[in-house]
Amino acid sequence: MNYDVVIGLEVHAQLSTLTKAWCQCEISVSAFENTKVCEVCSAQPGTLPVYNKKAIEYAIKLGLATNSRINKVSVFDRKNYFYPDLPKGYQITQFQTPVAENGHLDIFDDEGNIKKVGIQRIQMEEDTGKSSHLGEKSLINLNRSGTPLLEIVSEPHMSTAKEASSYLKKLHSILVYLGICHGNMQDGNFRCDVNVSIKPKGSEKYGTRTEVKNVNSFRHVEMCIEHEVQRHQQILDSGNKVLQQTLLFDVETKATKVLRTKSDADDYRYFPEPDLLPLIISDSEIQKVQDNLPELPDAKIKRFILDYGIPAYDANVLTAEKELANYFEAALKNYEGEAKKMSNWIMVELLRYLNEAGTSIERSPVSPNSLAGLLNAINSGKISGKQAKDVFLKMYDSGHSADVIIKEMGLEQISDEKMITEIAQKIINANSVNVEKYKAGNERIFGFFVGQVMKETNGQANPSLTSEIIKRLLG
Amino acid sequence: MNIYDSHSALKKKKISSLELITEALKKAHQNKNNSFISLTSDLALNQARTADEEISARGPRSWLHGIPYSLKDLFITKGIRTTAGSKILFNYVPPYDGFISKKISNAGGVLMGKVSCDEFGMGSTNENTPFGPVHHPLNPEFVAGGSSGGSAASVAEGSAAFSMGTDTGGSIRLPANFCGLVGFKPTYGRVSRYGQIAYGSSLDQAGPITHSVLDAACVMEFITEKDLLDVTNVANKKMSVVHELEKIKSGYLKDKTIGFSQEFIDACDPEVRNSLNDALKIFENEGAKLKNISLPHLKYSVAAYYLIATSEASTNLARYDGIHFGFRDKMSSKNLEDTYIRSRTLGFGEEVRKRIILGTFSLSAGYQDQYFAQACKVRRKIYEDFTTAFFQCDAIFSPVCASVAFKQGESKQDPIKMYMNDLYTIPVNLAGLPGLAIPFGHHKGLPTGFQLIGKSFQDEELLKIGHAFESVVKG
Repeated sequence: MNYDVVIGLEVHAQLSTLTKAWCQCEISVSAFENTKVCEVCSAQPGTLPVYNKKAIEYAIKLGLATNSRINKVSVFDRKNYFYPDLPKGYQITQFQTPVAENGHLDIFDDEGNIKKVGIQRIQMEEDTGKSSHLGEKSLINLNRSGTPLLEIVSEPHMSTAKEASSYLKKLHSILVYLGICHGNMQDGNFRCDVNVSIKPKGSEKYGTRTEVKNVNSFRHVEMCIEHEVQRHQQILDSGNKVLQQTLLFDVETKATKVLRTKSDADDYRYFPEPDLLPLIISDSEIQKVQDNLPELPDAKIKRFILDYGIPAYDANVLTAEKELANYFEAALKNYEGEAKKMSNWIMVELLRYLNEAGTSIERSPVSPNSLAGLLNAINSGKISGKQAKDVFLKMYDSGHSADVIIKEMGLEQISDEKMITEIAQKIINANSVNVEKYKAGNERIFGFFVGQVMKETNGQANPSLTSEIIKRLLG
Repeated sequence: MNIYDSHSALKKKKISSLELITEALKKAHQNKNNSFISLTSDLALNQARTADEEISARGPRSWLHGIPYSLKDLFITKGIRTTAGSKILFNYVPPYDGFISKKISNAGGVLMGKVSCDEFGMGSTNENTPFGPVHHPLNPEFVAGGSSGGSAASVAEGSAAFSMGTDTGGSIRLPANFCGLVGFKPTYGRVSRYGQIAYGSSLDQAGPITHSVLDAACVMEFITEKDLLDVTNVANKKMSVVHELEKIKSGYLKDKTIGFSQEFIDACDPEVRNSLNDALKIFENEGAKLKNISLPHLKYSVAAYYLIATSEASTNLARYDGIHFGFRDKMSSKNLEDTYIRSRTLGFGEEVRKRIILGTFSLSAGYQDQYFAQACKVRRKIYEDFTTAFFQCDAIFSPVCASVAFKQGESKQDPIKMYMNDLYTIPVNLAGLPGLAIPFGHHKGLPTGFQLIGKSFQDEELLKIGHAFESVVKG
């Protein structure tokens, strides 16, 4: 049987504010356990929460950047449950009226067409502490307790694993572009819950969904969706029913395992947080945030295509990360050739080496300026494109500029017309048989002459100039 | 021992703070009414000596400088055990200082100790506490009232010149009324709740129990500073009304309109009714107009209160889970859930457990609309009743309680009847208004009195009217 796949994503993004959501404690992932804790975030009796204005500003930023409606009045609620890493016994979140609603992001579907993915809501809430287990003992670290989060809930508009990861990458890049989230997935700055269901092709009625909690990389999200879709299909094809479950994705086995089977007994007893007044956001506050929004990926893509004449694909790759886009533009500054050539070098060479080394563009050993220097050397005919790749490798390893490496390698191309003509003439004189063959119509013999010139010059002769000269000499 | 006269005596150097404290400590050590949970004698003596040095050098810096006071054990005091009258916090020593403790200490008040209350403020008799019932200062067979019973008893017995109580449904005004004292619950939002252990967050408000309205005004000046740590502390104006009260002799009540509900007065026990009618006559004799007003929804206030207060309490008290602080049953701990259940079952008293269960039920999915949400609608109606009534009058005159102080043990027999005793104090909390209990008359050795209810955030005017009445009675 054929099925439609329905995917919705809930993302928890930790905000990169300096202090926590309700108190003045510094946010730090590296601090020693329980040293970034005060009476408020450890829920001492008698303490009260105070809004973090920066966190509210960040929420408005994301709302505007995702085309959402900012609610002028939104309400904080208590979500009640007992857990050792939740010292208050409730989480402050937004239930009835979140700070922003009804947004969307544009992504590319698997055919490369633009697809709109709806964002149901963006709500402000707080992170919990962390539990860890040491033999018989359980330990609690409250450094993370009260860190401001935005929960971004998508509509179930995605239908393939690729679409889901495109959406996530887009959302991730927007958060980082806005400067409101560090976006380090390994540190848990950006965490994703995946909701998957399938239904017979064309059917109106949604199937039973499963929720996979805390999937922490784009690749794992794709893998876990593919796994779940296949699992659901097998269950339905064999005539069984999918159970509504909360699952975890096991990175080792690349399969999901059951965390708990959902029942209607889950009751968080949401009600308005009496210790906080409703959050009122004025038009002028919204306008102020709007006026200070940075250029976002979509706008940058359009500008790159228009201003630099690079293809849409390139523009997409280069803008996926703000730092990468900055690198590209910085490199273009001192470069005199076609932007597409720069784009190729960044995407094909630079990113390959960076990925292999597992490092980021910010730590690239080749500076934008150096890369521009290398490409300028190619364009001026100083070195050949083939040589440039070797030069680049050396630049990458040493961090030196193209000029230094080219000198070191003795690679400077010979573009001295007189010198090449002398060498070529000598070779033609010494190989009269081949000259006859060429003149009789064997054009393939032409390469022989070029090769000989190269041999004589240790490959340093400018190839196109060499061809030109030989052609002229052979008449 | 009252604040105003003691202050004058200190100023004129007729008495020293050390003498005041020594006298108060004598009463406190006798502890004949079981007012104190924790006595801080050494601290008090040291503070008194410091106060005397400061006063002899520069004179008293405030009304409260060198004056002995007690704090209900719901107020957080850094380094001084704070129990909330509960076993679950019997050994809890707070790591921070609350707003009230800090402000009164800054003003130079001398802390005698932490006084008893019904556990977490839940009760009207100060019998619901493992620290034993507080006795009525005039007759030990009777209760002092609650929940701030220790506060009232300590002021009445002279172990403190004033005490800070908290009032969620009458917990300041009722014990003040039973013990023949003035009890003032300010407008909700007038006094910071930071460092006040929460019962019902949207109802709780701190206020003084004193010998006179003038004394209450003296205290208010130091606890109405804006506190940025409580976002519901919306009042911006620090109260400064003592100097105005000093000028009021007679004639202030002329042209004031005092609203009252004949229905409420008629529903009281005869001895209370007589006292209420006599008090009304005094207002009339002083030239005030009396106006019978209608408050049709107040009859639902007890039902609404016991849903809203318990709902909020059920989550406010979730942090007492045996994990982070307070009592943990060491015998249990088979697993996490067992720790929760046993710590909370053994740590909380019966009344608290009852209210947590009621509140949890009221917020539950499927019941919330019927109970919690419905109660919130009733609350709105009660607020509107008052708003309408205040178009016709300057203050509302009402009973505090239909009877004089109850006998010890009586409350256990009919809990619903006991809840109904809060009928006249509860609506004031639901509407967030200021309420002032004023003693007037006695019956068979037990004090009687009445309550004045003021307009929202017009606490000063209410104190003026109350003080004018007291001036007439005291001559």
